[in-house]
Amino acid sequence: MTQAHSVILKIDGLTKLHGQFKALNSISFNINRGEIFGLLGPNGAGKSTLLSILAGSSKPHTGTACFDGMQIQPNNLKLRARIGLVPQDFAFYEDLTAKENLVFFGNLYGLQGTLLTKKVNEILEIIGLDDGKANQYSKYFSGGMKRRLNLGIALVHSPEVLMLDEPTVGVDPQSRNRIFEAIKTINATGTTIIYTTHYMEEAESLCNRIAILDHGEIIACDTLQNLLSLTKTTINFSIIENDQTKAGLLQQKLPTLKQATLQGSYSLASHNNPTPEIINLLVNEKIQIISMQLDSPNLEKVFLSLTGRHLRD
Amino acid sequence: MQSFIIAKKELKLLIRDKLTATVLFVLPFAMILILGLLLGEGFGQKNDDLMRISVLNLDKGLGLNNKPWAEHAIDDMVSTPNIKVEIIQTKELANELVKTGKRAAVIIFNQDFSDRVNECSFLSTGVNPFHRDGIYLEKLQVSIVKDNKQPATSAIIESVCQIALLRIVMPWMIGKAFEKLGDPEFIELLGKEVSLPIPPSLRLLMPKEKIPLGELLELASGKDVVLAKNYREKVGQGIQTALTGQFKNYNLTGKSWASLTRSINNTETVKTLTTFQNDDGTGILKRGAIRYQILVPSFTVMFAFSLILISGWIFVAEKRQGTFNRLLSSPVSTPSILLGKFLPTVIISLFQIFFLLALGKVLLGLKIGLPTWSLTDWAIALIILPIATSFCVASFSLLIGLLSKNETQLALFSSVPVCLFALIGGCIFPWEMMPDNAKTLAFLTPQGWALDAFREIMPSSFDNTTDFNLIWKSALVLTIMGFILMCVTWITLGGIRFRSS
Repeated sequence: MTQAHSVILKIDGLTKLHGQFKALNSISFNINRGEIFGLLGPNGAGKSTLLSILAGSSKPHTGTACFDGMQIQPNNLKLRARIGLVPQDFAFYEDLTAKENLVFFGNLYGLQGTLLTKKVNEILEIIGLDDGKANQYSKYFSGGMKRRLNLGIALVHSPEVLMLDEPTVGVDPQSRNRIFEAIKTINATGTTIIYTTHYMEEAESLCNRIAILDHGEIIACDTLQNLLSLTKTTINFSIIENDQTKAGLLQQKLPTLKQATLQGSYSLASHNNPTPEIINLLVNEKIQIISMQLDSPNLEKVFLSLTGRHLRD
Repeated sequence: MQSFIIAKKELKLLIRDKLTATVLFVLPFAMILILGLLLGEGFGQKNDDLMRISVLNLDKGLGLNNKPWAEHAIDDMVSTPNIKVEIIQTKELANELVKTGKRAAVIIFNQDFSDRVNECSFLSTGVNPFHRDGIYLEKLQVSIVKDNKQPATSAIIESVCQIALLRIVMPWMIGKAFEKLGDPEFIELLGKEVSLPIPPSLRLLMPKEKIPLGELLELASGKDVVLAKNYREKVGQGIQTALTGQFKNYNLTGKSWASLTRSINNTETVKTLTTFQNDDGTGILKRGAIRYQILVPSFTVMFAFSLILISGWIFVAEKRQGTFNRLLSSPVSTPSILLGKFLPTVIISLFQIFFLLALGKVLLGLKIGLPTWSLTDWAIALIILPIATSFCVASFSLLIGLLSKNETQLALFSSVPVCLFALIGGCIFPWEMMPDNAKTLAFLTPQGWALDAFREIMPSSFDNTTDFNLIWKSALVLTIMGFILMCVTWITLGGIRFRSS
């Protein structure tokens, strides 16, 4: 399979305006077939707007989004059948049972008869609502069950691309875990996943590639490993008071070493893990260590370093 | 196909919401029933242009032209401008109507009325019905049952009765008296009473100053009995002829008011004679009451259009719970979504209309249609019209529901078509109770058109005819209104679904 064929979604120069506000500012990236693609960004970054365009519910002002070579247009109804969208808010009929909701939406997508029954039962099992809960009115469901049903409805027509807009908001760890399992199961069947979340650990554990969106622009888009390499590993250590005379020696050997506010405490940041180098130096110079803490890079650090720490509304 | 799936789901949701489903069907009927029991008999009926005189005719005798005098009296009242006569069937009913305040007074011509009128005469042996203020009713066997709580109206009715009786009895008595002028008894009396002076030249033959007329006629006939009788008759005829000539404007032998006064028949007077009909219904539910003929169509139309609120609310609820966006992002076409939303409202509206009509028919004795209607007529009334109405309702519901972003907006937007249009359209206050030009204004609303047609199929009397042109026109207007609303909804939904900004 060539690179060109593996691209299922090609986003090229998308711009979307909400009045004068640029919700998306000429963004371009590709999503490969079969991958779990994470879409991270602070509130108001443009994630939901992007998903709306990709789902065919909204039209960009400029640029194109192509699904499997076909341009996504709001009036292209056939394309909609190949896409599944799990909205951030619950979107099902509370006075219908879980099964009835799945059957209804399955019917809308043209599924009928035994195929529909089989698919509904399969989905109910994937989302963990296959026992007696399937025939309960969904208004009596817990938050986690509602989240899972919300996911299940988007799966019933076997979409090639499944877009999830923060699917784990407000759910307990058990339900979150079940949702992860469901996503992995679906992805294992070849479904491409676009996963939008605020939870970095979710993106870290699920996504093959991640794009970070801020102020309507893609500020990073790469594999997790490559994104993590954007920040440095920091080692913090303290030495005993008697050995502080040797601080000058440390500074000489490690020019990037920084002295912390607390006397006798130092930190060193590096793209490569500096722990062996420091330990060797301290041992060789017979400097006694009080404490040592390794601060490894993670996605949250990458995210904060790229998007800044100021509050977003 | 997908439209039916959406429609089926909507109906399923509605059926599960038992309270709403109950309200949809039971509330309109409850309102009809409550108002039907509370409102008076005359609800919705325009005040009579004519003064109503209720009469009970028990007269068994015969009068002028072998017709009971009571009928002459009734004819007289009917011929009086601005008066209509209502015949009450029984004395018990007359008493009941007065007792319950439904009639201020009922005039009763008792069974001897004709006989007593026949006996009326200026002769001392006859019945003299007159007194200073008019006629002694009791002497003529006429009675008036009055409601003491309505003294003014009953006094007017009594005056009408007095005038009618005067116009009956007075010419009858004058006519009879005029005929008496030719009677031998009158000439004999006249002959005795009238004495003529004897000229001096003849006093040798008749040695007295005056001679009675009767004696003179005897002398003239030469004691011939036949000739004497002939002379007396000629005197009588002469007096009658002389009086007739003297009072040329009157026919003194006419015996009826019109004849006596030589009145020209006033053809412009509309004679209104009706028989009492119990419009108040019977039993606890006032079954068959005429007001149901107004209440049922009014509330049927009003609550049909109230579905705008219910359907709109379902629409808004769907938006709030996000399923509407899910529908829009599905591969279902916009017309299919619209049709799916449209069909349930049409079905509910039709069910509601038929439910109210059926319940009205069975429980309230509602009159639907006329005995003369053909099968086609029934189809127009009970299929075409309800479908056209429901089509308009459903289209309106969709547009209001689509335009409303939340329940507050829905309440505001729907208040115009549900409340204001119902008021203007005549659903709340019948047109009969509103100013004359109100009906013109009503035709600006779909309720006005629907109500006009529904009232046509539920006539207030079986004597009515049905204007099927009106029903067709209403159905056509409702369909056009519905079609325009549907087009606006389609365009709006398309804009929402495929918006570019």
